[in-house]
Amino acid sequence: MKRARLIALQILVMLAFLLVWHVVTTTSLFGDVKTMQFFFSTPSAVLARTFKQLTSADIYWHLGITLTETVLAFVIGSLAGILFGFAFARRELLSAVFDPYIKAANALPRVVLAPIFALWFGLGIWSKVALGFTLVFFIVFFNVYQGVREVSPTILANARMLGMNERQLFKHVYWPSALTWMFSSLHTSVGFALVGAVVGEYLGSSAGLGYKIHEAESVFDVTGVFSGMLILAIFVIAIDALVTLVEKRLLVWRPGQSATTTT
Amino acid sequence: MELQDRPHPVAGAGPDSPGVAAVALGGIDITFHLADGGRYQAVKGIDLKVFPGEFVSIVGPTGCGKSTLLNAAAGLLTPSSGSVGIFGKPLAGLNRRAGYLFQQDALMPWKTALENVKVALEPMGVPEREADQRAREWLGRVGLRTFVDRYPHMLSGGQRKRVSLAQMLIRDPEILLMDEPFGPLDAQTRQIMGNLLLDLWSRDRKALMFVTHDLEEAIALSDRVVVMSAGPAAGIVADYKVDLPRPRDIADIRLEKAFHEIHRDIWASLRVEVQKAYAMGEGRELVGGDAS
Repeated sequence: MKRARLIALQILVMLAFLLVWHVVTTTSLFGDVKTMQFFFSTPSAVLARTFKQLTSADIYWHLGITLTETVLAFVIGSLAGILFGFAFARRELLSAVFDPYIKAANALPRVVLAPIFALWFGLGIWSKVALGFTLVFFIVFFNVYQGVREVSPTILANARMLGMNERQLFKHVYWPSALTWMFSSLHTSVGFALVGAVVGEYLGSSAGLGYKIHEAESVFDVTGVFSGMLILAIFVIAIDALVTLVEKRLLVWRPGQSATTTT
Repeated sequence: MELQDRPHPVAGAGPDSPGVAAVALGGIDITFHLADGGRYQAVKGIDLKVFPGEFVSIVGPTGCGKSTLLNAAAGLLTPSSGSVGIFGKPLAGLNRRAGYLFQQDALMPWKTALENVKVALEPMGVPEREADQRAREWLGRVGLRTFVDRYPHMLSGGQRKRVSLAQMLIRDPEILLMDEPFGPLDAQTRQIMGNLLLDLWSRDRKALMFVTHDLEEAIALSDRVVVMSAGPAAGIVADYKVDLPRPRDIADIRLEKAFHEIHRDIWASLRVEVQKAYAMGEGRELVGGDAS
């Protein structure tokens, strides 16, 4: 089977990586074992720590905080992005006037805003939501803007010939078209919402996955850092799988998305 | 609605027939402003009347402005000068009494066949349940009873055209405008679609303007065939009456002698224009491309 072979190869890569890591850190081939373990920890220690963390309640509280921040950043960022995307796409003047400012704001590395947000919104979840928001907003904004602008002129002319008014055009043509573009960037925007949350936590907070990693780092607990990264990776894969599920459900009409035929 | 506005029941009515024209184009000029600042006059001085009950085809070389003319009748485009009259009234904005069948795919890809047809009734305020039932009826009439829940990408080109046809006809427009609707389809499908169209049209005989570059298709379907000259500044060079009996089968009718005679006559005038267009082909592309 092709698929089984692929999975086998993928597992092989992981095993090879773990093996190299293990050899480097538990033998004196590359240097003093103690030093190597201080800098790189060992795969068994990281796995043991991760298992221990995942079986304790504490980590789920931190994950819950990070998840809350991610969801809030995604929802608020998307809503604002949709609103502004539509407004700018439908108002020529608005987009022309604000174009340079939008571009400038988007070009700014958002991480530099994190301390400012911490100052404005405190060290609680809202400064992280704000950081995630600035990342999500622009992705959604540009996609919705594009989606509205790139509606097929034929579909639009046809809808108008069917007698649709502005509200009906919005409901049946602009909105679905904009959503398509937005969903096509769903993975990116959800990912960025998470980045905003974790980076925000990392830079200053008292809870969340980013905080856990930062905490371990400040006491040179390399095992803790790697374990935190591993949990973060599992978390990201889980969220991504969820997004894929939602995407499949919402974009059934798209060619290649699903070949199911009813009736 | 006044009595004289009603669709005239007589089929094959010519330009001299009584009653008010469904579409009356008077002295239409259409000039496009090109992106490079130049101008391209697509059509010039077009006079054309289409009467209720009449199936009129417009043929002409590629880029002669056939579609432009149709868009003017639909109100999708305002002529630079001249008048567009719809049942005796000047057209302002979109033509609310017309349905339009586009050459390109015009279905909403995010809606199923059923939803695409149903949505056409929403602007008319038809209640949901009734709209659903009528849409299913129409999809059945175009032969897609078992395809109602398919999305456009799951349908073939011909099936998509059937959905578009149902979407247009369910609103029962008094004027039907069709812009090379079967252009992208293969030869067999075109014939089947042609017969389907004739079948649906002959039930209540609306005024129909049909743009095509396929002369055989035009003759097989129509009561009148209007020949346009090569662009730029295309005009009408001839207007032929096709008095072949109805009902017709568009595959069989091509074998009849009368068909060949009409074809020979029309081709004689069309050929000149096609050759002109061909000779100018490269030049026109430099000016601004296909204006249709």
